[in-house]
Amino acid sequence: MTHHHKEYDVVIVGAGIAGAIMAKQLGEQGKQVLILEAGTGTDGRFFDQGKEKGYESYMARFFTAMAKIPNAPYPNNPNAPQPLVTDIQKPPLDKPVSDHGYFVQYGPDPFASTYTRSEGGTTLHWLGTCLRMLPEDFELKTRFGRGRDWPISYQDLQPWYEIAEQHIGVSANADVQTYQQIDNPSVQLPFEANYDYPMEQIPQSFLDQYLAKGLQGMQVEIDNQPYPIDVVATPQGRNGMPRGDYRPVGAVGNPDLGQRCAGNSNCVPICPIQAKYSALKTLEQAKNTGNVTIETQAVAYNLEVDHKTQHISKVHYKRYHSTKSAAYDDKTVKGKVVVLAAHAVENAKLLLASNVANSSDQVGRNLMDHPTMLTWGLMPCKIGAFRGPGSTSGIPSLRGGAFRAEQAAFRIEIGNWGWSWPEGAPIATVPELIDEQNLFGPALRHKIAEEYPRMFRFGFLVEQLPDPDNRVTIDDQYRDQLGNYRPVIHYKVTDYTRAGMAQAKEVSDAIFQRLGVEPFTKYKTSDPGYVQYQGKGYVYNGAGHLVGTHLMGDDPKTSVVNREQRSWDHPNLYLVGCGNMPTIATSNPTLTMAALTFWAADNVLNALDQY
Amino acid sequence: MYRLTDFYRLSATLTGYDEVELQGTGVGPTYCKTLSQWVRQDVIQELYHRAEEIGSLECESNQAQFYERIWNCAKLGPVARNIIKMWYLSIWYQLPADWNALYGVDDFSADKQPVEDYVISSNAYIQGLVWNALGSHPMGAKQPGYGTWAFPGQSAKPLNLD
Ligand SMILES: Cc1cc2nc3c(=O)[nH]c(=O)nc-3n(C[C@H](O)[C@H](O)[C@H](O)COP(=O)(O)OP(=O)(O)OC[C@H]3O[C@@H](n4cnc5c(N)ncnc54)[C@H](O)[C@@H]3O)c2cc1C
Ligand code: SF4
Repeated sequence: MTHHHKEYDVVIVGAGIAGAIMAKQLGEQGKQVLILEAGTGTDGRFFDQGKEKGYESYMARFFTAMAKIPNAPYPNNPNAPQPLVTDIQKPPLDKPVSDHGYFVQYGPDPFASTYTRSEGGTTLHWLGTCLRMLPEDFELKTRFGRGRDWPISYQDLQPWYEIAEQHIGVSANADVQTYQQIDNPSVQLPFEANYDYPMEQIPQSFLDQYLAKGLQGMQVEIDNQPYPIDVVATPQGRNGMPRGDYRPVGAVGNPDLGQRCAGNSNCVPICPIQAKYSALKTLEQAKNTGNVTIETQAVAYNLEVDHKTQHISKVHYKRYHSTKSAAYDDKTVKGKVVVLAAHAVENAKLLLASNVANSSDQVGRNLMDHPTMLTWGLMPCKIGAFRGPGSTSGIPSLRGGAFRAEQAAFRIEIGNWGWSWPEGAPIATVPELIDEQNLFGPALRHKIAEEYPRMFRFGFLVEQLPDPDNRVTIDDQYRDQLGNYRPVIHYKVTDYTRAGMAQAKEVSDAIFQRLGVEPFTKYKTSDPGYVQYQGKGYVYNGAGHLVGTHLMGDDPKTSVVNREQRSWDHPNLYLVGCGNMPTIATSNPTLTMAALTFWAADNVLNALDQY
Repeated sequence: MYRLTDFYRLSATLTGYDEVELQGTGVGPTYCKTLSQWVRQDVIQELYHRAEEIGSLECESNQAQFYERIWNCAKLGPVARNIIKMWYLSIWYQLPADWNALYGVDDFSADKQPVEDYVISSNAYIQGLVWNALGSHPMGAKQPGYGTWAFPGQSAKPLNLD
């Protein structure tokens, strides 16, 4: 390898969706691009190539994993360690949980989200929900006196949303996604006239239809104001029926069947037929431009600054030989432009380790997620649980409204896989039927047949505000085996968010009552995510939506990047990923981040023209 | 040595699936082998033998015998429960430590238990009976096809949605 002798137009750190979009856009314009990727690769990326190292090896790992957690299919790699949901503990009051897993957590509340460090990044195991943000989400401070405003508006981002939706291949119907049918103007979304998504809406599950009918006309009251409860299909980054001559990238299998989502019900952690979008598809397109090189097993650990120009002059990285040992070569590479796309936490870590881009002291701060509260129960009749994509609909009616001055907004996700999230059903729950309920033979079979198809859960994705004390830092004491920093995290869930959780629980109770759902929700004090609000207990989980660690703003004193997503401090350094987002609002963040990344790629191209 | 026919007969009683259904999964021989890997031959023989003596569980007095002589028996109960879990979940769970102390160790080998619970194989996961029992398909395999989730599902009765 001779990369360290060569100067690239652009060096990108990270081969997730953000890095892949950037590489593809630049490669298509003839720019010479190198992607440094910390994780291992899949060689032949698609299903039918390379059984041993390819995508299929992930499937085998998944099938035989005891805990089917989001990272289960992807190799554990001590040279590019990643957080696991099974590592999450309640931080003790007096000392950090330093020994458990990758994150070092100081609390007071545990940060419960994870990501993936292998080629393709976290979209390997994302669910694929692709919602736009609401116009009011961009102006939280102005409208509600909370959080921050974005330096851009919904209108500014709107054309980039369209590009991102076309690229990911989102399945949805625009007339449904405007939310014009919802009697709450705060949530309504302006779409460009005549615009539609590239693929038709994924059919709603039987459960969705059942809920939609049962909840028709339902309202809840917040601050004496009525809000409707409407079930709406969710836009999804998985293949449905293409509109016109649109064809999704990299679909495998039978072109009449395999291209579409076939209902493997396994989107998190891995879609066996790659009907779900992952960044591997964009990387394939990037490579096909002939101008993009991906170097895997390459962990960037330092950015060197030319103090005369303030340009990033070199990227230092460790190229390890295998996942089995810590042996590595120390290398450097130059790019006219450097783009960090290593994910919110890793971007912040790399900036802090290099002591760059931080004149505002905001790097690593304002870490946000969607604390996700679940409620679950048994429907009065069989609704055919454990089928289809993880979620095909939600209840978006409380994503916005005047109440945001006082408490968090939230989006309700309808889960299609029974109690798999809260209880690990069926694998984790069947032993109890045998060991404690003493069921066997036909009685066991009958119990499962009668009860499991009635299992049902909601997920409430609750908004969090940017808080400078919720942060990622680094500490010399905590390093991984390559000698790189481990993320040290301080995190709390404030009353604003807790009030949203309490409100969400009330809405859930009202829905359960209306539908005759037998509740089974239990919030145990021993749960790591257990929190209290006004004397009542709730439990949150991580959503995997890590936002805010290098946020965008219009003032270099209070933000890390400008609206072009360029570092205020270094003219040739761009940051991409959810870390740029000043607030998290209620939509899963990746679509918005992808839209921003297309925009950033345009800005990089313009900048390169000036060299 | 393991006896596949005995294994299927006992498994049918324990799982509530008939022998033809069990054979259809194709993983019976693997499970039978797994059993004899972790449980002493004489214990397995005793289990088969008692099950045969008790006979069909359709009559109530046989059921009482089954509970007494197998299900609640300190020696055979945990093995019987492990066999059900193997079929339903494709996992071999470690037998309890106190069971192991009494029955797990034979004269010839010191360590007769795996160090942790494990999934027997990829194919076993796919063939787990629990998926069929709950009226669906194993998550990640045996895909039912585009849009099938919009219909009531094999086990759900069609509902009146008008
Ligand atoms: C279980 C789960 C479900 C989710 N579901 C959804 C959803 O439905 N909708 C949604 O919008 N979002 C969802 N998300 C979030 C979504 O996956 C992420 O927002 C998105 O994938 C982030 O993309 P990225 O490119 O910024 O980072 P990543 O995809 O994490 O990519 C970063 C890449 O950089 C590499 N890297 C890291 N450090 C270094 C280094 N030092 N040097 C070189 N390379 C490095 C990593 O290995 C990785 O490949 C989910 C997340 C999880 C965990
Ligand atoms: S439901 Fe299945 S086929 Fe569809 S995206 Fe999820 S895992 Fe892939």
